[in-house]
Amino acid sequence: MAELIVKDVALRLGDNEILKGVSLAVPAGEVVALLGPSGSGKTTLLRAVAGLETPHRGSIAIGDRVFFDAARNIDLPAEDRGLGLVFQSYALWPHRTVFDNVAYGLKLRSVSTEEIKTRVEKTLSQIGLGHLAARYPHQLSGGQQQRVAIARALVYEPPVILLDEPLSNLDAKLREEARAWLRTLIVTLGLSAIHVTHDQVEAMAIADKIVLLDTGLIAQEGPPTALYNEPAKLFSAEFMGSNNRLEGKLVENSGGRATIEVMGERLTGLSCTKAAVGEKATGVIRIERIHCASSAGPNRVKMQLKAPMYLGERWELVFARDNITVRAYATAPLEPGDHYVEFPSEALWVF
Amino acid sequence: MPIVVYRLLVLGLTTLAVAAPLSLVIYQSFLTAPFFDPSAKFGFAAYSFVFNDSDFWQAFWTTIVIAGGMAVIAVPLGALLAFLMVRTDVPGRNYLEPLILIPIFVSAVVIAFGYVVAIGPVGIFSTLAKDLLGFVPWNLYSLLALIVIAGLTHVPHVYLYSAAALRGLSTDLEEAARVSGANPFRVAVNVSLPMILPAILFAGVLVFFLGFELFGLPLVLGDPQDVLVLSTYLYKLTNKLGVPSYQLMAVVVVAIIAITAPLVFMQRLLLRQAQRYVSVRGKGLKTLPLRLHGWRWFAFGAIVFWLLITVVVPLFGITLRSFVVTWGEGVKLFDVLTLDHYRELTDYPNVIRGILNTLGIGVIGGAVAVACYTAIALAVHRWNSGWTRLVDYLVMVPRAMPGLVAGLALLWVFLFVPFLSPLKSTMVSIWLAYTIVWLAYGMRLVSGTLLQVGPELEEAARTAGANDLSVKRDVTVPLIKYGMLASWLLIFLIFVREYSTGIYLLGPGTEVIGSLLVSLWGTGAVDLVSALSVVNVVMIGVGLAVAVRLGVRLHG
Repeated sequence: MAELIVKDVALRLGDNEILKGVSLAVPAGEVVALLGPSGSGKTTLLRAVAGLETPHRGSIAIGDRVFFDAARNIDLPAEDRGLGLVFQSYALWPHRTVFDNVAYGLKLRSVSTEEIKTRVEKTLSQIGLGHLAARYPHQLSGGQQQRVAIARALVYEPPVILLDEPLSNLDAKLREEARAWLRTLIVTLGLSAIHVTHDQVEAMAIADKIVLLDTGLIAQEGPPTALYNEPAKLFSAEFMGSNNRLEGKLVENSGGRATIEVMGERLTGLSCTKAAVGEKATGVIRIERIHCASSAGPNRVKMQLKAPMYLGERWELVFARDNITVRAYATAPLEPGDHYVEFPSEALWVF
Repeated sequence: MPIVVYRLLVLGLTTLAVAAPLSLVIYQSFLTAPFFDPSAKFGFAAYSFVFNDSDFWQAFWTTIVIAGGMAVIAVPLGALLAFLMVRTDVPGRNYLEPLILIPIFVSAVVIAFGYVVAIGPVGIFSTLAKDLLGFVPWNLYSLLALIVIAGLTHVPHVYLYSAAALRGLSTDLEEAARVSGANPFRVAVNVSLPMILPAILFAGVLVFFLGFELFGLPLVLGDPQDVLVLSTYLYKLTNKLGVPSYQLMAVVVVAIIAITAPLVFMQRLLLRQAQRYVSVRGKGLKTLPLRLHGWRWFAFGAIVFWLLITVVVPLFGITLRSFVVTWGEGVKLFDVLTLDHYRELTDYPNVIRGILNTLGIGVIGGAVAVACYTAIALAVHRWNSGWTRLVDYLVMVPRAMPGLVAGLALLWVFLFVPFLSPLKSTMVSIWLAYTIVWLAYGMRLVSGTLLQVGPELEEAARTAGANDLSVKRDVTVPLIKYGMLASWLLIFLIFVREYSTGIYLLGPGTEVIGSLLVSLWGTGAVDLVSALSVVNVVMIGVGLAVAVRLGVRLHG
């Protein structure tokens, strides 16, 4: 199976520029997550790949099969692209049984009745629903419906399967289980997939590569570790993980290190900006990277503990000074009052 | 067949069906004689004749007075009724709801006959009143009575739209006002009323518009007093000059459409306005109904009184009349009971044909009509194109043609187009006329059902490999099956009730109960008319009962 290539796709809905030129590649056997806040264009991009929206620029192809090419005026209708799409709402046809839902794609491909039976049964047993073939969608639980939707998209062995927030309709506990199940299924069957989600944890867990979208443009792409640990922009730094944000003034910026002045103190971190000294800058640090220290020292700021919160496996502490609030994790609660908060310089990004 | 071919085909046929009658009417209005007359020339003679006819202007102003009067009566009563039914604890609301809608589904001529035999000068209640009081305290044959009856029978139209708006209103908006300190009455006045005002306004324009469509009531109740409205003026014009005066009728039709078309367009704008608030729906929590305490039974009594006047009196009158030989002062009803009028029906082959034709047009014609409406709705469904706007306007056009007018226009089409004329004296002509007249209504029913099909269900089929037509066949149509069935029932009711559209098309082979009633009434055959009316009411009653039993919403 060949690679799915999306090149410079731009798309308008009415007067709204939803996608402003997005390119990405899905190599065979890989899962790419399209991640972004609502309105970033991730679902629209997925629908454009599926053939349900028409871009006005760019091209989409798998190997030498061109799905869409604005320049050459090619626009293959959705039904001729042979992709599998799993909808956020599952979109199971309520008037068909589980078996008939899954079998429909094969019927359209004029597969013989016996082969349909074997293939549908095989797919249903792969997803662990072999015994529910005769049920109607409304007789299934949310998790089971979601599996049927996946089976329906898999049964005719599409080169790429498109998943539109497939887990978002499940409740929190079930979602974590389904995530593990889905990742296992994808790895076992060696699927290529595009997985749209707004949940960064889900994206990191499921994908080989994450494409982070921001208002119709790619903000950053790469393996999950790179996105989490080496943000290229303030947007990616803030979108991934839980963060503290420190607005300040740049006082030094050279040799890959930058120092900002916040709350009258100087903090040094990794420079991610080309701004000149004296300009405004933003420091970003993950909550879990902040320590509390007992004494003053470099990159430590004296702040007042406002509210300790018990989260079960740990405590979350909220510190404040001037107009700045900082959140940190701790294994044990601290006494109210002033504490030294350390911002380790290898974990502080300055944008 | 590619989908584009299907779409353009449907679009073309719809355009033809809608535009042909209309353009023929306009063409005819500029001729000096009927179009089949070789001496016909272009000219404005017909316009100057009609516009110089004082009867025309008399009818015009009468129509305006009646339509306005109807709105004045129906709008406040309908809105109040909706408030009582939706928001308060009036007893027996579940049983009242279908009863309230009866006037919409019973033919207006039947109601009118019912009033004549019940409270007309020699009606059963009039003789009763005369026995008791020595005089009859009402005069049915007056403009005022006509307006009051027309107003009262149109209360359900206002009720439907106001109730829908009230139900669509998010209850948390009202609760927010309650919590802020407003009592129920203030909530109603300050929150609910302003929110449903667009819907009430729409209903008002609708009733005013329906005033121009009024035909059965003024024909039966206005005639003895020579009260003419535009539609009855048109009807009388048929025989005015002794020769077919098509050009004059065409001018009147053009005049009617010139008034109704803007009203239809206005309704469209207002409806959009009215639906603005409906989308903000709450979680479907039921609020506690407003407690009326002592007023509960008073409100109940008021509703029952209205039902008594608008439904029970005419229907009771016509039913009783169909079972007695005669009535009058000193006649004991038990002595004159008879089934002869029903036996008599079978003596007339055209009446028997009319009953069978009516059943046929309702059941078979209704099904085919729903199939046509579905074909049109499916053609524009999910069609991302400016052509869908054209269809929107297209289906509105017949709405501006009252049934009488549309029937006349269709008759001309059948006379005008040579290869169609053999169909003129078959039920095909009636079916076509009915289907075109109720195009907007039927399309609303079907599109309403289509709207409920989630787009992702169709997209899922497309990504699975189905082309546009397979998607419609395998997903969309199976999903709207129940909605189509419900539409069929409603169209059945409408087609069985219809009386004005078939009048000009009435002939051997094309008899339907509605148009037969009008023509029989003209001959004074009250016995036959009352028996046939009851047959019609029973057919509608059965249809209504089935609809209520199946849980069909009685409004599109």
